[in-house]
Amino acid sequence: MATCNDCKHFFPIEDNPERGDCVRREVDPRQAYYTAREMDAAMAADGCKHFEQK
Amino acid sequence: MAVAEEVELKELEEKQEWWWLAEKMRSKRLDYLRKAVWKKGASGGLPISPIKYDLEPALLRVKLNEKYKRETPIMKKALIFADMLDACSIYITDFAQLVGSLTDAPSTEPWLGSGGIGNKAVYNFPEILPEPLEESLKIVNDVGIYWDQEGDGMDEYYKIVDPEDIAKFTAGAFAWGSPHGGYSGKNYEYFMTGERAFEDIIVEIDQLIEETEEKTIGPSGPDIIPLYQKINNWEAMKVCLNAGIRWAKRHARLARIIAENFETDPKRKEELLRVAETCERVPAKPPRNLQESLQYDHFIQILVRREAREGAWPARPDYYHGPYYEKDVIVEKNITEEEALDLLGEFLIRAYDVPLILAAGRWVREGLQGIAGTWVWTLGGVKPDGSDACNAMTTALMKAARMVRVSNPTFAFRWHPKVKDEVMREIFECIRHGLGYPNLRNDPILIANSMHWHGHPLEEARTWVHQACMSPCPTTKNGVQPFRMASATGNMAKIVEYALSNGYDPVVNMQMGPKTGDPRQFTDFEQLFEAWVKQMEWLFGALTRVVNLARTMAPRIAPRPFLSGISERAIERGIDVMCPEGERGNAWITAFTWVENADSLAAVKKLVFDEKKYTMPQLIDALQANWEGFEEMRLDFVNNAPKWGNDDDYIDDIMLRCLRECARYSHVVRDPSGNTWPILPENVSGNIHYSSIVAALPNGRRRGDALYDGGISPGPGLDKKGPTAVLKSCGKIDHIADGRAFLLNQRLSPTQLKGEKGYQLWKAYMRTWADLGLDHIQFNMVSDETLRAAQKDPEKYQEVIVRVAGYSAHFVDISRKTQDNIIQRTIQGI
Repeated sequence: MATCNDCKHFFPIEDNPERGDCVRREVDPRQAYYTAREMDAAMAADGCKHFEQK
Repeated sequence: MAVAEEVELKELEEKQEWWWLAEKMRSKRLDYLRKAVWKKGASGGLPISPIKYDLEPALLRVKLNEKYKRETPIMKKALIFADMLDACSIYITDFAQLVGSLTDAPSTEPWLGSGGIGNKAVYNFPEILPEPLEESLKIVNDVGIYWDQEGDGMDEYYKIVDPEDIAKFTAGAFAWGSPHGGYSGKNYEYFMTGERAFEDIIVEIDQLIEETEEKTIGPSGPDIIPLYQKINNWEAMKVCLNAGIRWAKRHARLARIIAENFETDPKRKEELLRVAETCERVPAKPPRNLQESLQYDHFIQILVRREAREGAWPARPDYYHGPYYEKDVIVEKNITEEEALDLLGEFLIRAYDVPLILAAGRWVREGLQGIAGTWVWTLGGVKPDGSDACNAMTTALMKAARMVRVSNPTFAFRWHPKVKDEVMREIFECIRHGLGYPNLRNDPILIANSMHWHGHPLEEARTWVHQACMSPCPTTKNGVQPFRMASATGNMAKIVEYALSNGYDPVVNMQMGPKTGDPRQFTDFEQLFEAWVKQMEWLFGALTRVVNLARTMAPRIAPRPFLSGISERAIERGIDVMCPEGERGNAWITAFTWVENADSLAAVKKLVFDEKKYTMPQLIDALQANWEGFEEMRLDFVNNAPKWGNDDDYIDDIMLRCLRECARYSHVVRDPSGNTWPILPENVSGNIHYSSIVAALPNGRRRGDALYDGGISPGPGLDKKGPTAVLKSCGKIDHIADGRAFLLNQRLSPTQLKGEKGYQLWKAYMRTWADLGLDHIQFNMVSDETLRAAQKDPEKYQEVIVRVAGYSAHFVDISRKTQDNIIQRTIQGI
């Protein structure tokens, strides 16, 4: 089972590698930006539409 | 700059097409960021942009409310605040140097869900709900049911508030706002002077907890009973402050990740690493440079808005950030003036981007057309020792404002006799560029006013900022007003309407005010005026009773642990900042639709009682028919009765009488601190919102006609004797003792005020304004030609700004009715 830790968008937090930031690039009609959400490294990623294997 | 480019800029200046000039003048970064913003306001009651509600925060809030059900109200609020900050998405836009948003994505607005009417309003906007619609509607329904059953605090209030008061209040006829919504003053003198930041405050709190815990394990007695809650309050404040630090550091991490993994441009990499360094520093520690200072401020503004809805934005950016500007740009030359302008321009854009609550009640959307809230930032003024507070950042901010042309925030400049000419020129440039701001405030008058009404000591009064559009509020421990419920805002035209209808409201079909007599039986003006006074007293009482109770209950029903954690009075006493203990008080009653009272009373006095041209029964018949079938009579009341703003003592004396009755009663009604409630005539766009709610009036107005546009401004086109006559009428008011402040809109000719001659004319006009002791003035300087063109072709005029009332808006973002109302305003030739 893939987890967030296996995803190329996942960046572990240096002093707490069990957590990390899921970072994605988004573009809407007005602007481009990077967005981040804090996740558990061990969270199941099977249902995630943005998952990309490292 | 190339010659051709210079020629083009000169041509744009000649044609006074300031919006195109701004686009050419601003940097590539500012141009991108300016155009990146999704407008968050409403026009004609409907959203301007196709933004979407984000329903996830509402779902999360329900989960967290369940999780923390057993906590005290303040601790529950703090833990929910913290968890939501930890769970939310954050983002960094390309080119950005300042970060932090109220929203999880640029094109969304958070929907937090609530019970009652506020929740149901979202059903009016299915287009704002995310797809698939069916799923969204189910979420809205389920969240609404949850809060209806759970209660969101206000249900306690509604159980004990006077049922007659609240039934009348919520009828929508005379009261604008809600008992518990509003905006907070900020204790900037505590957290924005560079002396402390969040970690320092946490240390102070820890010390207080330690000292207090010692007492709770000592001998028991009644004096230690309150200490337990104080400890809980302090712990809640710490939860919030720590959450704020963590949230900021998430931005630091993201900036670093982008720089190290995605960004290829070396210059942008450097910028992102600087953003990371900034967010690691603030708000945990005090700022050291301009970018950190602006970022610190912006983080706090977002955090208070993540805690509670905030309808305004009190700020004094040049005063608090100016020292860092001078250090970075002038003394140490760490950044160039252009780089500083980029930061300042972005600082304005970040504020412009902040939403209020789009699908809130109609009264919000129609009363604040085109904007998300009244963000009025205070510039200039004096320091506590009385010396000039203007600095290099005062003028730099105005330059930045002309470049980015946001309608929010706007500036209000605290004028005093020692303001330098170079500053006045910058102010004039902004007005000439058609921004509609800064508005000008008479600082000596308003300082004296603050001391008169609320007893603020001189040095504290001098720290004042605009708490919303108009009213000064100190930024000190005991002077700041932590929350001002907007519902002490009255549709004042109803006073004269009820005096003429025995207190009955024909629009909502309710007995509203007291029965003050059948007006058909009035035989002299004094009987009418006596009825007017009684209706005024009733209306003032009803508004302030509703607000006072909500404010007093607020620590229990709507605690503010984060705001408390940046407020010295709350920390020192271990209380929720909403508790009025130790607060001096700074309340006021906003008076929408004010001048209609004087114009109407004067018309009745002249045409009915003095000239005996009509009888009272005839007048009442005409009013009840909405003047239909009485057009000749109506025009008589329009054209042949004296109107305010023409330096005519006949009506000016009536205006003064009305104000002084209000001033008298303002000392009778008291706020929870025991302080006064002075009147403050101004509108936002309440004159449009209430146009169908105010019945026909003796000033010749029909129900449905727009009401007058603001404060003590004469009715559009009714000031016939020129600008000096307007100032003279307004100058008869005692701007210290007759009320809190008095908004005056004036429209100036862009052609007449060109060049140096124009500036000198305006300066002379302002000297008259100051000599007459007025406290406020603001200007529109856009031609009818431009405004009509913008109506025909809005796409080409996106950045034309107009001063609506206590705020500015992009002309294309306000309703047609409001646009026409602005065009109708007299252009004064000075």
